[in-house]
Parts: sequence; structure tokens; C-alpha cells
Amino acid sequence: MIAPLSYYLILSAVLFSIGVVGVLVRRNPLVMFMSIELMLNAANLTFVAFSRYFNTIQGQIVVFFILTIAAAEVVVGLAIIVSIFRSKATIDVDQVASLKG
Amino acid sequence: MAPAQVDFVPLIPTIVVTVTALAVLLLGLWLRGEQGIWLAAVSIAGLVAALVFLLGLAGPAVSERRAAFDGMIVADNLSTFFGAVALVIAILTILLSEHVLLIERFSQGEYYALVLLTTVGMLVLTAATDLIVLILGLEILSISLYVLTGFARGRLGSEEAALKYFLLGAFALGFLVYGSALVYGATGTTTFGQIANVLRAPGASSPLLLIGLGLLLVGFGFKLSFVPFHMWTPDVYEGAPSAVTGFMAVGTKAAVFGSLLRILTEAFPALRAEWAAVLWLLAILTMILGNFAAIAQRNVKRMLAYSSIAQAGYIVLAVIAADPLGRAGVMFYVLAYTFMNLGAFAVVVAVADRGDVGTTLDHYVGLARRSPILALAMGVFMLSLAGVPPTAGFMAKLFVFTAAVRAGYVDLAIIGVLTSAVATFYYLRVIVAMYMSAPAEEPAPAPALRVPGPLLALLVIALVATFGLGIFPAVTGDLVGGTLALAK
Amino acid sequence: MNADSYVAIAFWILAIGMVLAAYAVVALPRIIHSALALVLFFFQIAGLYVLLRAEFIAAVQVIIYVGAVTVLFLFAIMLTNRSYAPDSNPANRQWIAAGVVSLGLLGTLLATLGRQTWPTGGQVPANATVLLGQLMLGPFILPFEIAAILLLVAMVGAIVIARES
Repeated sequence: MIAPLSYYLILSAVLFSIGVVGVLVRRNPLVMFMSIELMLNAANLTFVAFSRYFNTIQGQIVVFFILTIAAAEVVVGLAIIVSIFRSKATIDVDQVASLKG
Repeated sequence: MAPAQVDFVPLIPTIVVTVTALAVLLLGLWLRGEQGIWLAAVSIAGLVAALVFLLGLAGPAVSERRAAFDGMIVADNLSTFFGAVALVIAILTILLSEHVLLIERFSQGEYYALVLLTTVGMLVLTAATDLIVLILGLEILSISLYVLTGFARGRLGSEEAALKYFLLGAFALGFLVYGSALVYGATGTTTFGQIANVLRAPGASSPLLLIGLGLLLVGFGFKLSFVPFHMWTPDVYEGAPSAVTGFMAVGTKAAVFGSLLRILTEAFPALRAEWAAVLWLLAILTMILGNFAAIAQRNVKRMLAYSSIAQAGYIVLAVIAADPLGRAGVMFYVLAYTFMNLGAFAVVVAVADRGDVGTTLDHYVGLARRSPILALAMGVFMLSLAGVPPTAGFMAKLFVFTAAVRAGYVDLAIIGVLTSAVATFYYLRVIVAMYMSAPAEEPAPAPALRVPGPLLALLVIALVATFGLGIFPAVTGDLVGGTLALAK
Repeated sequence: MNADSYVAIAFWILAIGMVLAAYAVVALPRIIHSALALVLFFFQIAGLYVLLRAEFIAAVQVIIYVGAVTVLFLFAIMLTNRSYAPDSNPANRQWIAAGVVSLGLLGTLLATLGRQTWPTGGQVPANATVLLGQLMLGPFILPFEIAAILLLVAMVGAIVIARES
């Protein structure tokens, strides 16, 4: 008998929460973005786990599209982060707050 | 594996706008500087063509739904209306930014292409009846807006705004995707129609489904900047170029509200009590905090950011109502908001001028003398945003409050009216600055502001629409479908 | 030690490893270590996909996430050269609020996921990869085409932003 479904779901819930903590706590945009990748992967794991226990392939197809979206986000996100670094030495989100009203 | 029920008719407007975007992207290689006007012309031509297809297609579709691709996308009253609004927003944005691109020397080809691709995202988002297609459409819309926000690469504020908008958008994406995963787990499907069928069985709503819906609402909350998810909005609105801020404020509101309305009424009608309670709380927080925070703002763009948060709070009232009157209320409010807010941003763009610097209240002091047209237009838009009678803003607020009261949410309507009263203060403050207060020391007579042609056209359209919708709201009768219901 | 216990052992090794790797991504002071922890995390998720009989997804996960995404991260880290410094990963002060939000979220998730009764996994269709391909170009042709537009937007966007004016 393979590991029951609730193990996978609890594992992805823990990973999702770690991702949320990472985004809220960290100030370096790269680490915040890595934490967002953690959240997306937790969602992928949930999709594949449900798809396995529903004996369908539909859940796995959704994971493909989430991978595409994550790739598109990484491309644009890192372009923004790097372009900001070119015009400013630090990329610490709080110091980047020259906009604060 | 039966091939999908392939029916490209509901997709024609989306295809037309995508092809136009590609054409503009290519043409941008040759047409530079002054010839950029042709890029704007091609873009507007494509958008008008898409609008004609959409409304032409809408003839039969408005009455009956026309689902396609196994129910993943649909052409019905909702998608036609919000699609038309998205196309109109794009046309007005091109008029708004045509002059800005010249003086700021932005690369026009990419700018127009990204505006068109954002519109593609809006069209897909409002027609999506499947969680995957919804998230994909939302991502096309968001990614092109992140790039547009960071378009003024010379200015640090613009890049920082893009970074903040990107991080918050990706964070919201995480919630949306995880929420969809839990909803998929609870119902076994991601298509709205099938979710509703599964939920029709008694006892089908499990706690897992509630959490999934909750996480989806968090994702929507970030995108619509409801309070407590609104922290990013003022900084991004202030940092982005003013033309992009106007497009973002109006575009995302219209498309995401259309999609929120659809998912709540079509996929989760069985959970109405639960999501109405959550939205009830979010509406109160958003209306109160949005308006009170706006009072403290000296920068007009930041004030308009908080104003757009507060206006989203009013639209949520009609989403909560969710009956035909509520749907009509959301549609009408979004339409009215489009014109008055884009009009206000047209004036902001004209006053800010080169370098997008003139955006604090002091730049509006004595505007009446420098440019009577701009002052008059801004005055009308501020009154309309405040909800003063003859304007579309008043009719929209009346619509939304009536829908809320009829659905039994009298408390929301009362809070709405009270916060609107508070709102008139910071809207009127702009008018006072423009007309009443003379500049303290009398500098050399301030140069009269020259209003470029396309911007003037946008102002005229917005003014006509603001008064038109205000005086005869029934003009949108058939498309909005419920306006006349208001009279009953 | 029959097959099932091997599967259980593999699951626990991967699960604990993943939680530690995820914690490392968030907690390590140097951002270069976070990126390496992320690589480890993606590999372990691919391992779990194999356990869930989604071998093709595991392969795609390794190629896309480990191959492309983390490489882009490492490029970004190299280009923002202060990332070797020990304080390159400062925490902000609102860790209390963050803790409350995520513990609340985790609590509600665990409460519901724990109590729910789940179907026991049946037999996975043998030719999953073939079905995957047919499904992608069959009922899911629409998201497939829209994802193409999304990738176009990402490319145009990245070029516009990263281009030397």
C-alpha cells in the first residue's frame, strides 16, 4: 500500500506555510521569490497527489501549466530584479522603499 | 481521447487582438519617433475590429451561453460586456499614452504590444470558466502589467514599483494555485460547471473546499487590492508611469471583478453564505480604510490609488448581492469607473508632463488659470468619483447600494454612504486647489498647459460618458441586462 | 521488508529531506546557500512524483525547475554580487506577524486535511505518458494555446526590461 494521501497533503501544507513565512520574513527579493517557488511546488505536489488517488491524469496536466506559469514568472521577475541592481547597489526590499509616501 | 469540442467563435476577439499585438511588435522595428502614430493607429484599428467581432458575435450569444472547449471558455452576457469594457479601456489607454511615449522616448512598438497583450489577458480572464484558463489569463494580464510598470527604466521609482508589483502578484499566484489544488481535491474537477454540479449534491461542501475557496479569495483580494491585501497598491500606483497607472487601475479592476463575479455565481453558488460573509468583511474594511487613508495623501497618484481601493470596496457590495441586479450593478459600476478614472488619469498625465514629476497637490494649485479645460475635466471626474448627482459615479453608487439593500445588506449600504461622504472631502480638495487657492508667491505667470490632441479626445469621450451614464443609465440597458430592474 | 515498507521508507526520507530543504531556503543567512537548498528541494519533489507514479512529471520537474529555474536564480545571484556577503539575506522585523499568519494557515490546513477520509489509491493507467500527450492536445488544447501566448508575453517582457536602453 503506498503512503496514504493525507501524508502528501500534510507535507504540501507544511511546505506552503514555509513558503508563506519566507515571503513575509525575508527582505531580499530573490529569497522571497524562491519562497514563492516553494508555494507553487507545494500546490503542484497537491495536484499530483490528488490526481494519483483519483486515478486520473487530469491533475498532472494542470501541473504542466503551473510549470509554464512559474517559468514565465521567473524570467520576468529576475529580469526586473537584475535591472534594479544595475541602477542601485542593494536589492533589499526595505531599502528599496524610496517610494514610501 | 475525444478531441475537445473545438469552437473558435468565442475566441475570435482574443485572436484578433493577439495578431494585432504581434503586428505592432514587428512594425515597431521600423516605425520610430514621430511615425509611432501609425503604431497607435494599427493598435486602435485592431481593437475596434475585435470590438466589432465581439458585439457582432454577442447578438445571439447575449441571450444563450455558448460554451466551447468542454466548458473551459464561454461567450455569454458577462464575457461580452467585460470583453467590450476591456477593449474600450485599451483604446482609451492608447489615446492616453500616445503623447507620453513621444516625450519620454519610450519604445512605442513594445509599449503598444504589451497594452494589447494585457487586453488579451483580460479577454481570456473574463471568458474563462475553468480554473487553469482563469489563472493563465490572469498571468498574461499580470506579467504584461509588471513590465509596463517598469517601463520608465531611467527612473528608479518605476523599477521599484515593478519589483513590488511582481512580488505581490507572484505571492497572490501562489494562493490562487494552492486554492485551485484544494478545490480540485474536494471536487475532482477544475471546470466551474462541474464544480457546481458536484456541489449540488447535499453535504458535498467539505472543509477542504471552504479552505480552497478561502485561498482563492485571498488571491483575488491581492489582485483587487482589498484591504488587508492592499499594501502594495499606493507604492506601485505612484511609481509606475501615470499612463500605465491609469490603465492598471481600471483594467485589472474590470477584468478581475468580471472573473470574480463569474466564479462565485457559476462555480460556488452552493457556498453563497460562506463567501458572502468573507466578502462582507472585506467590503467593510476596504471601504473604511481605503477612504480614510486617502485623506492623508498629498500626492494625487497615491490619493487615486487609495480611491481605487475604496471604489473596489463599493463594487464588492454588488458582488455580494449576486442576484441579477447585483450583476448589473457590478457591470454598471465598472463601466462608470472606467471612464471617470481614466479621465482623471488623463489629467494627471497632462499635468505631470515630462518625467512624470508633477503629481503632488501643489502642482494642481491654480490649474484653472493654466489650463481651464484640464481643470474643468478634473473637476467633473472628481465629482463623479465622489458620487455627486448628475454624474455616472452617482448612478453607479446608487445602483450598488440599491443592490446591497435589496439583498438584505442594509449595514453595508449605510457604511458605503458614510464613507462616500468622507470621500467627498479628498475629492473636493483637488477641486479647491485647482480653482480657489492662488499660488502663494506669484511666480512668472505659469505657462499654459498644452493638451495634446489624443489626450483631448480621451477627455471628451470620458466627459461625455460620465454625464451620459449619469443622466440616462438605461442606455446600457440590454447589455447590462438589469439596469431597468433598478427602476422597479 | 516487502515492497510497501520500501515505499514508506522512501517517502519518509524524501518528506523529511524536503521540509529541511524548504526551511533551509528560508532560513539560511547566505542567499547562495538558499539557492542550493532550493535545488535539493526540487530534486526531492521529483522523487516524490516518482513515488506517486507520475514519472513523466518528475522528469519534467527536474529539467525545468532544476535545469532552468535554479540556473536563472544562480545567474541573478551572481549578477547581484553582494549575495556572498553574510548579511545578504536580512530578515525584516515583522516575523511575529508572519509567524501568526502562517501558523494560523497551517493549523486550519492540518485540521481539515487530517480528518478528511481519502479514497485509497487504485491502479494508475499504465501508459500515463501517452495519455498525458493525448490529453494535452485533446481537451486541454485551449490552455495549451493560451500558455503559448503567456510565454510570448514573458519573453517580450524580459527583453524589454533587461535591454540596455
